[in-house]
Order: sequence, then structure tokens, then C-alpha cells
Amino acid sequence: MATTFEQMRANVGKLLRGIDRYNPENLSTLERYVDTQARENTYDLEANLGVLKLYQFNPAYFQTTVTSQILLKALTNLPHTDFTLCKCMIDQTHQEERPIRQILYLGNLLETCHFQSFWASLEENRDLIDGITGFEDSVRKYTQVKVWMNKYGWTENEDGQIFIHYQEESVKPKNIVEKIDFESVSSIMATSQ
Amino acid sequence: YDYHTGDPKADLAYERQYEHQQTYHVIPEVIKNFLQYFHKTISDLIDQKVYELQANRVSSESIEQKIYEIQDVYQGCVKLINSDSRFIMLQKISYSKKKSGFDGFTTAHLMCFMLSDADGPAPLELPNQWLWDIIDEFIYQFQSFSQYRCKTAKKSEEEIEFLRNNPKIWNVHSVLNVLHSLVDKSNINGQLEVYTSGGDPESVAGEYGRHSLYKMLGYFSLVGLLRLHSLLGDYYQAIKVLENIELNKKSMYSRVPECQITTYYYVGFAYLMMRRYQDAIRVFANILLYIQRTRNMFQRTTYKYEMINKQNEQMHGLLAIALTMYPMRIDESIHTQLREKYGDKMLRMQKGDLQVFEELFSFACPKFLSPVVPNYDNVHPDYHKEPFQQQLKVFAEEVQQQAQLSTIRSFLKLYTTMPVAKLAGFLDMSEQEFRIQLLVFKHKMKNLVWTSGISALDGEFQSASEVDFYIDKDMIHIADTKVARRYGDFFIRQIHKFEELNRTLKKMPLTGASSSASNSTSRAT
Repeated sequence: MATTFEQMRANVGKLLRGIDRYNPENLSTLERYVDTQARENTYDLEANLGVLKLYQFNPAYFQTTVTSQILLKALTNLPHTDFTLCKCMIDQTHQEERPIRQILYLGNLLETCHFQSFWASLEENRDLIDGITGFEDSVRKYTQVKVWMNKYGWTENEDGQIFIHYQEESVKPKNIVEKIDFESVSSIMATSQ
Repeated sequence: YDYHTGDPKADLAYERQYEHQQTYHVIPEVIKNFLQYFHKTISDLIDQKVYELQANRVSSESIEQKIYEIQDVYQGCVKLINSDSRFIMLQKISYSKKKSGFDGFTTAHLMCFMLSDADGPAPLELPNQWLWDIIDEFIYQFQSFSQYRCKTAKKSEEEIEFLRNNPKIWNVHSVLNVLHSLVDKSNINGQLEVYTSGGDPESVAGEYGRHSLYKMLGYFSLVGLLRLHSLLGDYYQAIKVLENIELNKKSMYSRVPECQITTYYYVGFAYLMMRRYQDAIRVFANILLYIQRTRNMFQRTTYKYEMINKQNEQMHGLLAIALTMYPMRIDESIHTQLREKYGDKMLRMQKGDLQVFEELFSFACPKFLSPVVPNYDNVHPDYHKEPFQQQLKVFAEEVQQQAQLSTIRSFLKLYTTMPVAKLAGFLDMSEQEFRIQLLVFKHKMKNLVWTSGISALDGEFQSASEVDFYIDKDMIHIADTKVARRYGDFFIRQIHKFEELNRTLKKMPLTGASSSASNSTSRAT
């Protein structure tokens, strides 16, 4: 019974091909697939956008819970701009509903790197991310706290300050000097007398 | 052809009248047949429409308006025919079915249906330009009607009744159906895949795809889908449908300039909304260069020239936005043009003037649509603007999130090393807020950039910002990118030019010259 995620992905892929993508009868399968992604900490942007499109075409089938899951999953894929793509396909009215409004607010905090406020806000709304396995880990990866803390042995102070540290070697002043290859010059050299 | 008025009935009568006269220009028989059929179809459509509307007791103004709309499209098609004086021989057109009334009352739509529903490939050869126009017009009609449908404020009760009773007219699904079936029928994706890997597309073309007519319709339908998805705000899918088309190749698959321009416009716009600024800039710069070079080839009087002009202006606007968000080097000539048109606006955008961003966006963006039929009982006057407002909002949010970055960038360029707190002070920010903004800078300047592969969706993260930095405890270290002026390249080109000139001069015959005279000339160089 337990199909692997890859199998599911392949099956769903078929539903998204060609004109089938717009068939509302596929919605329940696609919605289940979103739920699977949330539970198993997997991700499929194209399928999720497919769900949003079907909601766009068939507003009567719109589901707030599924949309919320899709948005939260998109946040776990930062710094990709999946969240923005989703926003473009959810209409104004729905964007103002709870908990979508809250999730959009959280998304904005992450995009503007107000991580302190983000974690604080998340604490107040823990139920939002219920069922999204690995949400906090993914977000932390984006904010790079864990990596740098491990690497440099820093600890989070009481304010939750995040220190950015980039290796010296990767950020250097660049002097882009013109390069002229030999072929361009060789013809000139050949004809000069 | 110039004798055609806007009225299909009159035109039909005219055709019949001139059939037997000597003065009728030499027109192949099949073309005459086609034209007569064409006029008759429209004429019949009008009759049918009027009958239906009268049966539904629609007001006579509405009926008249419907007729005007149909005649408009008819005129558009007549213009198409008139504007292509060099079109090749039309073979016999085989129509298997004629779609009735409600599914579409435009010939463009009719032709698409004919071609997508026929039982066998229509033995037809049409110029690529026509085929592109058919698809283009088709989507334009859908676009117009969708917007017309949503503007309920100024409509009469009868019109609204008519719309309410006919939700299937210009239904988004039927439009998608047509485009997808043209794509499938021609197996254009399969053909493109084989073509880009160097194989022979004919091997996978199939019964229909082998014909240039279907192949090109399939190709143009892909661009049609790009456009449609963009109009609905689905930028990912918009670029995805082109995944087998190599956008970065210099050669044009389709050889229809408008197709190329439209493609790049929508791809560029999608990239912009996806925050792939570098890709957007590259795409816009490419196509603007192309337009610059081929401008003279377009006849100034055609409405097509106006359309291209408009898209040219719009793309300059979008490029201005993209370069403000993500400064980078582009072709000098385009940059000069851009500064001429939008220099002032770009300065204001750099200072964070949101209004300028929004104005430019409004001017340059596609005419977004909603795919749903409105609820006619409950529509507020600005309903038709909602799709646009939605996209504008996403864009404006992005601009606001990046509001401080331009200023920060200009300050960063001034220094190499400095305590973070001090720089924060210069910028009138608390140190904490400044550090946050630096994070935002890093985040937003990290773009997904296409580097290789066929699909335009592919890409890797790059931070090719002009200015980069890192923070070491309390100090910020800034790395600026200086680009040396390219003297060498310039000199090489000029040297080649002079050599060419020299060679040409040497070959020129001197009047009354003896061989010794010409020898001495060449030795003197």
C-alpha cells in the first residue's frame, strides 16, 4: 500500500501533462499529494502550483487548509521564490482569510530577514505549522544559523541575534580585466608588416 | 482586395459580381473559392447571431454592437489577407465540420477549430506570418472578451442576461483545448527535442506534424500558452511550456519577428516576477537589440509596427525596473536608449519612489485576466481590475522589501572597510536594522540564473552583484567590482575594419592606370 514518494510523483506527473492539468477531477489526488509532502517532508513545486491553478479556475473547490500547506511548504524552499509564485495565483479575498493572512505575514518576515520577529511570531502561532514536518529545520537552513553556529561554535544569545560570517576567500574585490584571446590578435599580427 | 468594405454581405456580393468580369485581377481559382467561403461564413455567423439575439430579445444596440464586434474581427482577417500580397497558392481547403454559433464567433477561432478538429491534415500551405497572426488574434479575442465580460458596470440588463445564459462563450478551457490540441497534434515538443539534439524532427513528427502548417501552428501555440499562463499569473508554467525551445540561440525557429518579440516580452516579464533579474535583463537586452537592428525592415504604416513599438517601449520600462533592482552591465547602445527614455524615472526608483515603480509596472505589464466567469449578480465596478491589482500587489511588496537596498548599495560602493555601526549611522539606521538590511541585500541579490541547458527554467544561484561584502565581527568588508574599459577589443575591431577598407581600395580600378602605377600604390601602404 505504501507507495514511495517517487511513485506518487510519477503518477501525479501524468496528471499534470497537457490538458489533464485543468481537470478538476484530479484535485483530490493532488490535494492528497500536498498532504503527503507535508507529512513526509518532500516537495513538488509544480504539482502544488497545479493545485493553485485548479483553485483559480474552479473557485468553488478552493480549500484554505491545502493552500496553507502549499504556502508553508513554499517557505521551506527559501531562498527559491516559490512563495512569490504562489502569491501570484491566490486571489485577494483568499489572501485575507485566516490562516493564509498569518502565513503571508510570516513569509514577509522571512523575506525581509526579520528572523527574530519571525520566530517570535511562530511561537505564538505554533498550530499553523502543525503537520508540516521539518518546517523549522528548513527555515533555519535558510537563515543559516545552524550551519554557522556549528562551524564557528557561536551560541545564540538571549536576543537571538544572528551573526553572519562569510569566508574571506569568497568575497574579494574583483577587477575585471579585459582578456583578449590570441586568435583575435593573430590575424592582425599576420598582416602587419 | 482593396475594394472590400467592412460588411461581409456586401463583400460577398461584390465577389460574385466580379467573378465574371475581365477586370478582376488574376487570382487563382482556389483563393477565390476560399474568399467566398470566408465571406459566407462570416455572413452566416452574423445572421445566426442576430437571430439568436433577437430571439432572446436583446436590445438592438446590443445586437448592433455584436455585429460590430464580428465585423471588427472580419476586418482584422481581411487586413491579414490584404497585407500579405505575396502569399503563396492556397490549395483546396477541406472543411469537415463547421462549428456552430456559441463556441466562437471569430474566424480566427473558427480556423483553429477547423484545424484542430479535422479528421486529417488539411492540405494547406499558409505563410508562417498568417499562422502566427491566427494564434495571436485568437488569444487577443479571448483576452478582449474576458475583460469585456467582467466590466458589468456599463452593461444593459439584456447584455448581462445574454452573458449569464452563455457562460461557455470564450471559456478558458476551450481556449486551452485548442492550444493544447495543436501542440499535441503536431508533436511539436517531440520535434523540438529531437531538433535541439541534432536529430531529424521528421522522425517523430507524425502524420500532422510533418506538415509545416501543423508544425508551425504547434510552435505558435506554445507561445500562445506562454502568453495565456502569463495573463493568468502563472509564471512558472508560462516558462515551462517553452522548455524545449532554446531561447538563447541566435537563430529564430519561426522567422516571424512578432513571435520572437512577444516570446521574449513574456519570458522577460515572467523572470522579473520570479525575481530572476539577471535572466530578465539578459532577455530584454537581447530582444531590444534585435528590434533595434531590424526596425527598418518593418513597414511603418502597418498596425503591426505600432504593436512592436508599444512592446519596445514596454520592454524598456521593464528593463528599467530590472536594472534598478539589480544593476549590471548591459550593451552600451541599449543602455543609452534606456537612459534617454527612462533616465529620470530610474533615478527616482533608485531613491525608492514606489509610485514610479507602480506606474511603470502598470504601463508595461500584460493585461492580466481572470479565468472565471463573474457572478453577474454580485459584481462590483472594479472587478475587471482585480487580476491586475493582484499582480501589482505582489510586485509592490517585492519593491518595498527591497526599498533600502539601492541606498545601501551606493554607500557600500564608497568604502572598502568600515565598522558596521558607523555605516549604519551614515544611513540613519540602528545597527540592528542595518544588519538586517544587509541580510536582505544578500538574499535578494542571490538570483537563480540560467547558465546552461535547454529549459529556460533551469538555473543556479549566483550572486553576481556589482557590490559584495562580508562581515567580520564588527567590521564590514566590501568588495567592489571594477570593470576595466575594453580598449583592446575596440582596437582590434577598428584594425580589421581598416584592413578591409584597404583591401577594397586596392581592388578598385584606377582610371587610365597602368599596372606599374597600381603596383606603386599598393607598395605605398
